Amino acid sequence: MSDTIYPAESIYNLIPREEEKTMKAPRYMSKFREQVKLEKQSNKAPNKSMGPAKVDVPLPQKYLLKHSKEPKLPEKKPFKYEDDELHYKPPVPARTDKPLMGLHTNKNFIKTNAVENIMAVPKKPQPAYTDTKKGDKQPLENSGLVPKYIKKKDYGQTPEYLLQRREEVRKAQEEYDSYVKERMKEGAMKQLSGEERFKILQALKKNWDDLHHQYQGLSVVIDTAPKKYRKERLEQEMKQLERDIDMIERHKTIYISNN
Amino acid sequence: MAEDTQEVPQLGLEAVIGFNGHVFSGLKVHPDKEHLIYPLGCTVIIKSLRSGKQTLLHGHTNNVSCISVSKSGRYIASGQVTFMGFKADVIIWDYEKKEIYARLLLHKAKVEDLSFSPNDKYLVSLGGQDDASIVVWNIESKEAICGSPASAQSAGHCLALEYTNLSDEIFVSAGNGTLRVWELDLLNRKIRPTECQTGQLKRIVKCLEIPNDDNYFYCGTTSGDILKVNLKTRLLSSCGPVKQKFSKGVNTLKVLKTGDILVGSGDGMLTLCSGANFKTIKSVQLEGGVTSVTLRGDGHQFYVGTEAAQMYSLSYTDFKPELTATNHNSAVKDVAFPFGTSELFATCSHNDIRVWHSESSKELLRITVPNITCHALGFMRDGRSIFSAWNDGKIRVFTPESGKLKLIIHNAHSMAVTTIAATNDCKRIVSGGGEGQVRVWEIFQDSYRLIETMKEHKATVNCIKIKSNDKECVTASSDGACIIWDLVRFVRNQMVLSNTLFSVVCYHPEEYQIITSGTDRKIGYWEVYDGSAIRELEGSLSGSINGMHISEDGKYFVTGGDDKLLKLWLYSDGEVTHVGIGHSGSITNVRICPNSRYIVSTSADGAILRWRYPQTA
Repeated sequence: MSDTIYPAESIYNLIPREEEKTMKAPRYMSKFREQVKLEKQSNKAPNKSMGPAKVDVPLPQKYLLKHSKEPKLPEKKPFKYEDDELHYKPPVPARTDKPLMGLHTNKNFIKTNAVENIMAVPKKPQPAYTDTKKGDKQPLENSGLVPKYIKKKDYGQTPEYLLQRREEVRKAQEEYDSYVKERMKEGAMKQLSGEERFKILQALKKNWDDLHHQYQGLSVVIDTAPKKYRKERLEQEMKQLERDIDMIERHKTIYISNN
Repeated sequence: MAEDTQEVPQLGLEAVIGFNGHVFSGLKVHPDKEHLIYPLGCTVIIKSLRSGKQTLLHGHTNNVSCISVSKSGRYIASGQVTFMGFKADVIIWDYEKKEIYARLLLHKAKVEDLSFSPNDKYLVSLGGQDDASIVVWNIESKEAICGSPASAQSAGHCLALEYTNLSDEIFVSAGNGTLRVWELDLLNRKIRPTECQTGQLKRIVKCLEIPNDDNYFYCGTTSGDILKVNLKTRLLSSCGPVKQKFSKGVNTLKVLKTGDILVGSGDGMLTLCSGANFKTIKSVQLEGGVTSVTLRGDGHQFYVGTEAAQMYSLSYTDFKPELTATNHNSAVKDVAFPFGTSELFATCSHNDIRVWHSESSKELLRITVPNITCHALGFMRDGRSIFSAWNDGKIRVFTPESGKLKLIIHNAHSMAVTTIAATNDCKRIVSGGGEGQVRVWEIFQDSYRLIETMKEHKATVNCIKIKSNDKECVTASSDGACIIWDLVRFVRNQMVLSNTLFSVVCYHPEEYQIITSGTDRKIGYWEVYDGSAIRELEGSLSGSINGMHISEDGKYFVTGGDDKLLKLWLYSDGEVTHVGIGHSGSITNVRICPNSRYIVSTSADGAILRWRYPQTA
């Protein structure tokens, strides 16, 4: 009871207390310490150096020369492409060079030449056309005078991609129709018959006519606020009717959901 | 009584909490830099800065009004106030032996100020307004050399006195419209004044300060400015500060080696201002008007005493005040220990309640309610609240850690609430008022209910003690009756009548007997059952008994009263076993701590004394 009545303050908390010193946990010491020591002794100790390596003092004759400590670069070579030798013909013999003596061919040049010419197939003339009276010739092949386009294989046929698209559209329509039919079967929708549609259209148009009649009857000067509001209201209503009429006229079949 | 004090052993004094901050320049550092000297009531206290050990110099018969320490530190002089028509003592104390070296008796009613000559040859003393004379004393022969009226007939009374630092023949006095340099003519046994010319300036000088080189001296005035006067020519050199004066007057001045001046003013501001143009360099606000500033050594550290009886120490470099001691600055009315511990105790006084740590004498909590006096206080047994009785007729209950006001009972008594006690179940408070009613209150968390008013006493109820089973209480009243009440039926069980103003009553722990005491200086033992007297003891020879408390085992009880003596009595034999000498005002209350380790006594001069409880078998 007394705990709930009074706050937690107490006079005894005022007694100054000695600050309790938090004892630190002992420092971490690896249990592999001895092992690591041994390993180091056996592996690394032989490689220990006792100060810098002992080397001979350089001789006075071999004094330090200028640039001797710079890195040595390779000798300079003239530049050469890798495939140079393929492109170049063997060099022309020098003027001083002397041909090898005593070399003769035994080929009968006259005879072989005659035979080759006799046996050769005559060259076909390239079809060409002349476009000037001086007889300047142009090759006929790509000039456009040869009927290449109409001789194409698939000339005059519907392209493949169009057929594919048409097929897709048809499928979508079929799906939609089947869906509508299903819904109709369930009784969720009903189709607006042509007669009804016509009636609605006529009624809308008549409304529009009435409004239009009123609109035409408005005074020429719109000077007061009520007149302005009236005109704006008529315009707005007519616009709305026009939109509705347009919508009904655009669609042949109209479905109305029952709910 | 004098025989008594000689033959019975004395109680060991462990600590004194108290400082009379109203004495101007009363706080001094001894030249050995290790001791503070300050007045408390009729005593001068020497306190070691290192160990905190206090030595009390007893000898004055009334409040100490001024203190001076010689340059060498061999002597301390203190003056006192006394009643009109009596002579006021000046006592020179030997510092080494801590005893009276000479008692000088010439001034009437009050000694205003004292000053030693630089070579400890002479002491010059200034009498108060009713005396208005300056007397030069030879310290060696302990006799007066000569005297003279302090100021001219036309001028007002003198307030301050200061010896120069180099000459044993020249000193300065100042006061209301008077500023004089005196020269001692030893052959003719005369002192000759020279009036300093201040021109148009009319000031009341409160304090004087002469720097070491003796070229100039500074006077602090009640109007908050400082006069700088040439000591050779005796002409006013300068006066300042021009614009921002020190509000509530300059109470004390100290010149540092650098030439800058430390100024303590009446609004509690301690200011370091430049010696040339009196412009403020640094200042710090302290609690209560600054009354004394004293340098330790060359002035790297200084101590400040204020009217609120606080002591601060500051260092020259950072100028941050560090509170070294807090004390009550008016009569301490009551003291209480929490149940079962002697480490804490609470005291109450004008304006405030303070909770102290016994061992260190450090203040742990201060609850201040301005301008009214707390007459009595106590701790609830569970330690969850401090209840207190105030002279505005209200009972206030505070939380003990934060010191927040938890509950206030308005108009608890039509006159002041004079005493209060709580039952051991912490649910009821019994209070007594100045009109003589005893009321029982039920305390809830945020509310209270008056259960019963018991109207049998005809005068102030001074003490209430409740029996441990909470079914009976005893009240002591100034109408000469102690009534034992039934706290279940709220009727009187027994009444004890005596021709005295009962001030205090105690149950013996076995609760078959009560002991009472009052202004007839007698301690009465009474039977609780039928109210018959068992025994009567002579409690004191001179003054009424104000405080009494009985130890937990019931073997001893302790009394204190207007004779300023604390007496420990053996309950069964009715004999004084120990006497405590140390109080300089009449003792207002005494308590033995619950673990019987200390006795704490409070007195009307604002002191709290802690005594060792004698470990007798």
